[in-house]
Amino acid sequence: MTTTKQKTTKRLVSVLAAALALFAFTERAEAQQILLTGPLAGAPAVRKLRWHRKGRFEVAPAISFTLLDEYQRTILMGARLNYNFTDWLSFGAWGAFGAIKIPTHLSEQIQDVNAARRQADPMSVYLPRQLTAVNLGPDFEKQLGSMDWVVAPQLTAVPFRGKLALFQSIYLDTDLYFFGGPAFVGIKERKNCDLGECPTSFDMASRVAIAPTFGLGFTFYINKWSALGFEWRGLPFSWNTSGFDTAGGGKDKKFPDNKITNDDRQFNFNQMLTVSYNIYLPFQYKVSE
Amino acid sequence: MKSSPIGLLVAVALGIIPAQSWAQAKAGGKVTVAGKAAATKDSEGVIDADASGSAAAGTDAAAAEGAPAAGDTPAEGEEGGETPTGSGLEDICKIDPAACPNLDMDKEAARPLKEQIFAVQQAYALRVRRFELQAGWSQSLNDQFVGHPTPNLALNYYITNVLAIGINGQYYAPFNLDKDFNAQVRRAARVAVPLTEYQWGAALNFTYVPAYGKFAGFGDFIFHYDAYVVGGVGAMSVRPIPVIDPDNRNFEYQTKLAFNAGIGLRIFFNRWFAAVLEVRDYVFNDKLESLTVSKIPGPGPNGAGNPNTWYGETSLTNNVQAQLGAAIFIPFSFDYRLPK
Repeated sequence: MTTTKQKTTKRLVSVLAAALALFAFTERAEAQQILLTGPLAGAPAVRKLRWHRKGRFEVAPAISFTLLDEYQRTILMGARLNYNFTDWLSFGAWGAFGAIKIPTHLSEQIQDVNAARRQADPMSVYLPRQLTAVNLGPDFEKQLGSMDWVVAPQLTAVPFRGKLALFQSIYLDTDLYFFGGPAFVGIKERKNCDLGECPTSFDMASRVAIAPTFGLGFTFYINKWSALGFEWRGLPFSWNTSGFDTAGGGKDKKFPDNKITNDDRQFNFNQMLTVSYNIYLPFQYKVSE
Repeated sequence: MKSSPIGLLVAVALGIIPAQSWAQAKAGGKVTVAGKAAATKDSEGVIDADASGSAAAGTDAAAAEGAPAAGDTPAEGEEGGETPTGSGLEDICKIDPAACPNLDMDKEAARPLKEQIFAVQQAYALRVRRFELQAGWSQSLNDQFVGHPTPNLALNYYITNVLAIGINGQYYAPFNLDKDFNAQVRRAARVAVPLTEYQWGAALNFTYVPAYGKFAGFGDFIFHYDAYVVGGVGAMSVRPIPVIDPDNRNFEYQTKLAFNAGIGLRIFFNRWFAAVLEVRDYVFNDKLESLTVSKIPGPGPNGAGNPNTWYGETSLTNNVQAQLGAAIFIPFSFDYRLPK
């Protein structure tokens, strides 16, 4: 009995010791947890953030280059003006005019062939001249649709803000922004003409197209009041970039009808890349807590 | 056997003693809070991880950089060794007055700290001695006539943290897209533009990563990114799409030497998985379809059926591809050389 009692006591003591040991370990873990999380409890993800935008105007002279043009590339000169209500939201407008227009290699090829045909067949006697009479004027490059100006009020959201280390020696504040809004585009394209008129009518007409515009961009802050900006912009709308009669006849109006009409306007997903130099006013930024 | 309960009790007591010392560290926890309070007073020159970090580049992740500095702050009421008052130091001063430390602690504390602090304290994902497996989808950016979408695979090995050697490949063949615009031009202007389609591409590349950084999304979560430049040499298999004389011409794919150069952006979701955005230009010498058609029928020496009469001028062609994809780094984990 005594032996049994002693064994029971030993077991009890062992269990108590194990329980105490476990308790002791638990207490250590908790104490460690307090040390690790204490100073950071409730701390913001970012401290001392430089508010490059908040409460500041942004004036950004910009140059834009159109992409994937079929007949003519356009270089637009302009500027963006924004007021930043917060560091992540701003409202403003981008405006530009088509300063430089450069025909593509395809346009040059078409005009070379067109000029040679006209020289060889000035009276339009042969088939190639007759088949292209509605579509090709004396100078193909002068009948190309062009983007003359753009004004786009837009809302800009800046969800991402960060910093960049370049070669471990240049450090820049950066942000990534998205923008969108309506765009008013002044375009010049071949004027509409009726059946029989078109071979002699290659006049141009201007109109304003209204289209959505949207895109995204990066800002690299150089100092307290200026930054470099790079952005991509989509500007989709329908227009007649070539002055060709491509639609309006036949089934579903998908065949030429020997007239230039609104049906000849093809949907184009116009896109451009913009480089800007951004100036922020006032010159001094604020810093977050 | 009788001594075993006593031994166990001793073990328990030993276990409890560290717990008591941790309890003392709890007081240190208070001190850490005090340290935190001090850390916010960067304008007063107090040790401040956040302020110093932001001084370097403007933004700081408190989670990444605030804690160590707070932990390093001396405890409230703790003697910072302002004067050599300890008995050991007094003994030293008695034995050798020249060796007696004689520091004006106020003056020392006022000295500006010139600790080197990097804008990005610790690269989030080290690349050295890791493989990077990239998979993505590419879209041509500069060809108005034929679209060249393709799946893209790449494998890189990082020799250093910023330099990698690798291979990549594309398979274009089923995805070439002859656009409606070509037919419209042929119909409207009676002008045919030589077109080219691609079969595959492969290259040996070097990648250099000069830039890395971090972004705070919505001021709440932080993610890391890096930017790289890539260049290499390889081959592309291409052939003209017959548009001038499709009745006679049936081109075979030919392999061309191709050089490539590009830039990319990698956004890390964790330390081994990232999204990749890349723009790369593949340059090769393309042999275009001949714009003239032989009037001699058949496969004779100058006949329209002779492949030697099918090719025209050669042209240096740029195939600019924008790629969106994902990257996986293997092995998944790594060790930093230094703790911070």
